Amino acid sequence: MSERLDFNSDAEAFAEKKLFRNRLLFGFIFVLTLFGVLIGRMVYLQWFNFEHYHLLAEDNRISIETLPPTRGKIYDRNHVLLADNQPVFTLKFTREKIDDLAQTEAFISELLPNLSEAQRHKFFEKLRRTGRSRSILLPYSLSEEEAAQFAVQSYQHPGLSLTARLKRVYPFGPTAVHALGYVGRINSKELSQLDERDYRGTEVIGKLGIEKYYESRLHGEPGIQQVETNAKGRVLRKLENIPAIPGDDIQLTLDIQLQQYAESLFSEHKRGSIIALDPKTGEVLAYVSMPVFDPNLFVDGIDQTTYSALLNNPHRPMINRGINGQYPPGSTIKPFVALGAIENNYISPLKKIFDPGYFEYKNHRYRDWKRTGHGLVDMNDAITQSCDTYFYELSLDMGIDAIHDALAPFGFGNVTQIDIPGESKGILPSQEWKKTTKGEPWYRGETIISSIGQGYNLTTPVQLAKATAILANGGKIIQPHLLKDAKLPAPQQIEIKDIQNWNRVIAAMHNVMHSPRGTARKHGQGLGFEMAGKTGTAQVFSLNEADYDADSIDKRLHDHSLFVGFGPIENPQIAVAVIVENGGSGSGTAAPMAVDVIKKYLELNTP
Amino acid sequence: MKITLNPSHNVYRRNKTILQMLHIDGWLLLGILLLLAASTLLVYSASGGEVEVVTRHLMRIGFAFALMLLFAQIPPNILYVFTPWLFGAGIVMLIGVLLFGDIGKGAQRWLELGPIRFQPSELMKLVLPMTVAWLFAHSNFPPSYKRLGAGAALIALTAGLIVVQPDLGTSILIAMSGLFVLFFAGLPWKIIFGSILSVVASLPVVWHLMHDYQKQRVLTFLDPESDPLGSGYHIIQSKIAIGSGGVEGKGFMGSTQAHLEFLPESTTDFIFSVLSEEFGLVGVILLLAMYVFVIARGLYIASQAQDNFTRLIASSMMMTLFVYAFVNIGMVSGLLPVVGLPLPLISYGGSALVTLMISFGILMSIHTHKKMLAK
Repeated sequence: MSERLDFNSDAEAFAEKKLFRNRLLFGFIFVLTLFGVLIGRMVYLQWFNFEHYHLLAEDNRISIETLPPTRGKIYDRNHVLLADNQPVFTLKFTREKIDDLAQTEAFISELLPNLSEAQRHKFFEKLRRTGRSRSILLPYSLSEEEAAQFAVQSYQHPGLSLTARLKRVYPFGPTAVHALGYVGRINSKELSQLDERDYRGTEVIGKLGIEKYYESRLHGEPGIQQVETNAKGRVLRKLENIPAIPGDDIQLTLDIQLQQYAESLFSEHKRGSIIALDPKTGEVLAYVSMPVFDPNLFVDGIDQTTYSALLNNPHRPMINRGINGQYPPGSTIKPFVALGAIENNYISPLKKIFDPGYFEYKNHRYRDWKRTGHGLVDMNDAITQSCDTYFYELSLDMGIDAIHDALAPFGFGNVTQIDIPGESKGILPSQEWKKTTKGEPWYRGETIISSIGQGYNLTTPVQLAKATAILANGGKIIQPHLLKDAKLPAPQQIEIKDIQNWNRVIAAMHNVMHSPRGTARKHGQGLGFEMAGKTGTAQVFSLNEADYDADSIDKRLHDHSLFVGFGPIENPQIAVAVIVENGGSGSGTAAPMAVDVIKKYLELNTP
Repeated sequence: MKITLNPSHNVYRRNKTILQMLHIDGWLLLGILLLLAASTLLVYSASGGEVEVVTRHLMRIGFAFALMLLFAQIPPNILYVFTPWLFGAGIVMLIGVLLFGDIGKGAQRWLELGPIRFQPSELMKLVLPMTVAWLFAHSNFPPSYKRLGAGAALIALTAGLIVVQPDLGTSILIAMSGLFVLFFAGLPWKIIFGSILSVVASLPVVWHLMHDYQKQRVLTFLDPESDPLGSGYHIIQSKIAIGSGGVEGKGFMGSTQAHLEFLPESTTDFIFSVLSEEFGLVGVILLLAMYVFVIARGLYIASQAQDNFTRLIASSMMMTLFVYAFVNIGMVSGLLPVVGLPLPLISYGGSALVTLMISFGILMSIHTHKKMLAK
């Protein structure tokens, strides 16, 4: 080493050494002080905040997975499956393992050309906001080919995995869609209304019909699984397990065979409704609202184009006509008005009235549908031949409130409480009704047209079917329902003053079908059983005095064709209401359809 | 005139132990072995019990240990002669990195020399303090301002070449190892405090010059919860690991944070978090005690050194060891910014361990190659 060092004087060397040792001491104290700071930090973290970090570590370690319940299945009255759950393939995206979202999106667009661009964007937007340890499912069911294609390329995309999930499937497609409804993705409004705990892990909820009405029964209860996961969200160990309780399977009163048959009757006429009830119980045997659409389209979320097409379809397939179609009942109301009149002694059933083809009141002629008039008619004739003039004259004796009171017990103008959500009430006019809703007094002229189911009167097909069933079962106020084991209060009974009056009205409806002058006599022949019915033709709007020419006006303005009936007459098993929008006359269009439904039902139920 | 005797031709020759013959300081060796044993246990646990990782770790330890033994045999005066050449070579390589360097993780830090991938900045961790010490070897303490200025210039040159790689963390730490030499050489206190004040005053300027990722690190450090899924994630998870260890820890192999992969870099930069989680406050205090023991022994060796060159390198190496340990622990416990620095002697990894063991070899050489002084 250096020689110069050796020439340093001892004193100099000592001073240097002292300076250096002071610095060493200072350095060592510096070390101890800063290590003291570190220990202080550790005491703070490990001693004072131990509980806090302990919980956080446990939170990290243990994650709770919800096990979504399996949705209950839906069967028809003969145990035919109407709504099923089927396993389908979908892709699971684990956010943390995806490095390049844009590249993944490009891959998906190539892999799944059927997934619309809008849906894809929406999904990736959601993925972008998803926490890194979370994974979410693509709302799309892969075909077998797509799944196979993915499997080949999956090694390039560690963040994506193929998983199976259960998807709601409606094996009959559009059949009975307005009764069943469908499930669809839970939207934010629904999310805010339901208990989120029950729907964790569940993607769909009942949107309409039975699926919505019995949502709580069909849904079931989610289970919980505590699992130990790593930072990448992979489950390493199952710790605790509370299994999900699957939703109840439910059985409906519908007869899917009858339903299919009834829907098939709408081949020529596109729009309308058929409601068939068991008059003894109120069970809905067929619930037809035409046109229909395929509920399977909605399960994974419908794409905008298809949805717009459905919404803009001029036949309005999305409208549930059975409960929301409000139609003037037309002449189908006549048996009920007649029953009210004779029960309350406004007229004797045997009294005859002369019909010249019109009824004159205050210088205004109210026309009968038959220009030449029906001549002398009693109550039976008035129903059998659907004589308007008879009811015009009778209505003025009764007054609108008496008509209202006679019809209200049959359920006109009120909801039937059928187990499909969103039912319309219809209108059964009265003086009070007009005052409260329109703020105007009632005019007697309005009573006249009300008596033949025109004017303010509006009825839903379900109401009409219910009223018909009550007439058929002798006044038992049944509640139409689709659930087989529905717990309903015992039906109330309409007060019957003279059972003969009821028999007279039913006899007249029998004549409609089977007498030589009945409006539907053509369709009552050769049935093999006897039945009661009443045709109706409801004017869509007033054509005033102008002659009605079916060919010269737009088909949309054709009269609605209506029919109510039940059979067999001696022991009614089925009551039917049929409405065909713009179907023309009741006898021409609705009557044969109703007869076919009744006939089919009796055939199906004959051993 | 002092009489010098080569220790190897000592009259007490027959009393020499094996350690003395190998130029090894027993106390220092004990401290190092304790730390390396702790390191092996922790690497085993943090890797989730991977024997392969531990085997590789032990092989690296063996290699580094051999280098330590090798350097212990080299008398300090030989190092003294080579120091300026090593420094020159180091500077050339740092420039080489800038011109031909391999770009890894957005910074040019590696130089390929044939089959060897090499980080010149690692070499400079040793060579810079040696060079500054070399500069002051013939001076009185404190050295003249001229020499101090020359030392500062060498430090600035080296740090400057590393900071442009860019590697701010290493650059600061290497500068510190040189500054410690200035400190131990007796840099006047007024200059020390004056410099600290001017550094504080220049912080806004530095902030302005920093790269975005560095700014981001500082911001994340100030409020890690602000970005819990991004840059703050590491620190949050590390604090959870440390805090959840409590006083007694979860036991060996009990680190859920590391085993469930919440903790990043659990075998390297964040191995202290594993220690804290598994062995708690008790383990932390034991580790710090081992460091203090090694540092104290190293500073004692410095105090016993016979010339300025060896005094300065021994003391600055120990302070550098301390700073590395302090910065790493401060970083994983959320006191300091994340700079990507291993925990000395504990973390899994090669080059830092090699550098460190070489410095221990030099330290042992200093202690065992003493000239006999006639009193």
